[in-house]
Amino acid sequence: MKSAGNDIVALNAIDIQRTTSTAFYSKFIIPEERAFYQQPQFGAVPFQNFVWLLWSVKESAYKYLKRLQPDLVFSPSKLIIRNITVPHIQSTAEAAVWESGNKNEEFHTGEVISGTHRLYFRSKITGGFIASIVNDTPGFENVYWGIKSIQNTSYEHQSTEVREFILNKLRQILSVDNLRIEKTSEGCPVVFNAENLLDIAVSFTHHGYFVAYSFYSVSS
Amino acid sequence: MDRTAILSELKKVLSPYTENKEQLNGITEDTDLIKDLKINSANLVDIIIDAESQYNIEIDFDAAEKMYNVGNCIDVISEKLNKTA
Repeated sequence: MKSAGNDIVALNAIDIQRTTSTAFYSKFIIPEERAFYQQPQFGAVPFQNFVWLLWSVKESAYKYLKRLQPDLVFSPSKLIIRNITVPHIQSTAEAAVWESGNKNEEFHTGEVISGTHRLYFRSKITGGFIASIVNDTPGFENVYWGIKSIQNTSYEHQSTEVREFILNKLRQILSVDNLRIEKTSEGCPVVFNAENLLDIAVSFTHHGYFVAYSFYSVSS
Repeated sequence: MDRTAILSELKKVLSPYTENKEQLNGITEDTDLIKDLKINSANLVDIIIDAESQYNIEIDFDAAEKMYNVGNCIDVISEKLNKTA
């Protein structure tokens, strides 16, 4: 069974001083993960970005696994990041709308382990956000990922915008119009075409002035 | 401190992280921080840190992961307060 998981952290919505305090990051980053930051590849990465990168990967992995294990409780210290590779070229520029598809684009990548599950992540860091997705294969074949900036940060606006964003992409991919999103009792989003539940795992997220989706689909 | 008093104090901890003040005023032990109060998951650690400060306790990894609804938050805080009493 395929699943999907993503997360986004708006960098203007975080408290840098709090983020970089040991009391904060040690709640979800274990010492072995903290040690990654000593690697030379992180030389140009601010520590607060490193902390929120790990958070976004763990949150994405939790969402992915929650659909497969509905009784799963979010336990970030048990979602263990095994390795991280920083892209050679890091572009911090961002467009109003960004969607995956450029095969030459490099991301932060690595693995995240939860019990017997091994997942792979891709993360995109700009001046405005840190966004991550996870998948069960490292190639992310048939995984769609989009990020969009929005006009205000109210929960209602974020919620409406992210649903419209993903539904527009799904309509384009599936060539159907009557799509809607609901959430299961466990909080996992599901897609209906009229009254038919579609076999598409979707995930969406919002924070500050950003919304993002990811989903797996073999239709194109 | 009994559970009612902890709940009352907990509202102050949660307040900066939810837009829905009406829902916050009516929270019960079954209220889910994310689903009901619409708190962004990125603020969950802030809530744990603020709770530590509010109640002068330390909440470790294992306890923190239980704090996804109000009843569980009260369980954790109550247990930690009893240990420090």
